[in-house]
Amino acid sequence: MASNPMQQFTVRRIGPEINIAGVDLSFTNASLFMVISATVIILFLFLGSKEKKIIPNKLQLIAEMTYTFVAKMISDTAGSKARPYFPFIFSLFMFVLICNMVGMLPYSFTVTSHIIVTLIMALFIFIAVTIIGFIKHGFKYLSIFVPSGVPAVLLPLITIIEIISYLSRPVSLSVRLFANMMAGHTMLKVFGGFVVSLGILGGWLPLSFSVALTGLEILVAFLQAYVFAILTCIYLNDALNLHH
Amino acid sequence: MTIPEDFKTRLKIAKSKIKKQLDNDDEKRGSFMGSAFKLGTELVAAVAVGTIIGFILDTLFDTKPWLIIIFFFLGAAAGMLNVIRAANRMQKED
Repeated sequence: MASNPMQQFTVRRIGPEINIAGVDLSFTNASLFMVISATVIILFLFLGSKEKKIIPNKLQLIAEMTYTFVAKMISDTAGSKARPYFPFIFSLFMFVLICNMVGMLPYSFTVTSHIIVTLIMALFIFIAVTIIGFIKHGFKYLSIFVPSGVPAVLLPLITIIEIISYLSRPVSLSVRLFANMMAGHTMLKVFGGFVVSLGILGGWLPLSFSVALTGLEILVAFLQAYVFAILTCIYLNDALNLHH
Repeated sequence: MTIPEDFKTRLKIAKSKIKKQLDNDDEKRGSFMGSAFKLGTELVAAVAVGTIIGFILDTLFDTKPWLIIIFFFLGAAAGMLNVIRAANRMQKED
């Protein structure tokens, strides 16, 4: 029996070993669950938008609700200039959300509980937003590091602080998602282990905790996807509308 | 596709009802919890990034341990700046 609470995070190879130029590109359980999540999203949106009725069925209703939810989030935080980036933010939100939710199923694997996955996503956003900023504003984008109304003596210090603050964006973005998912799943496993070791007499208390934690984890899974997407919108807003 | 008149009025009523609901509950509470989760990592991440920058510069210029100390505090300042910004944003949203 798997009693180690960290065992659920092991990445295992599925199928043959693929090694291209010294880089291990084998198909793992992490890749499998990414493919599953992507397939779920595609199926959900495909079936949801297949029949375009005025009075929608449930699936169409949910698909339309996710659309309006993300559209509203973007227009609230980043304004109308961010409309062209809707497809990117929508797919990002859906991918993180479905990965988190698929990870909640027993015997599944949570892709977002690995820092390498979240860090790559966050770094991609960070670099993309920086490039967008430079394209839109040219070298004036560097003025994001120089806040207005600061005395000249403090300016070098403030600029360094601003640069550190800017560089900390991908770290905080990725660590938040990864830490929340990993901590939650470890906790679930630990309480599950308590149920087994305390047996039929004392196991009821940790079991009830486990049930409550599962509910909390589903909330966290949604919230973290939401926070990930909304922070992307905020960073995009900083790059598109240059002012502090 | 023609839309029957009676459906139009029903849609109008349903829309205004949903708007009222959205204005006061769930969605706002969700975003509050989201921002609460945000603040902690915001602070820690900047300290970590500052320290790492200090470490890299230290090994580059061979000035151990001075830059790592300076950049640790600069990182802490950046973290506080991040938290203040996030808190200001939260207040603006109200």
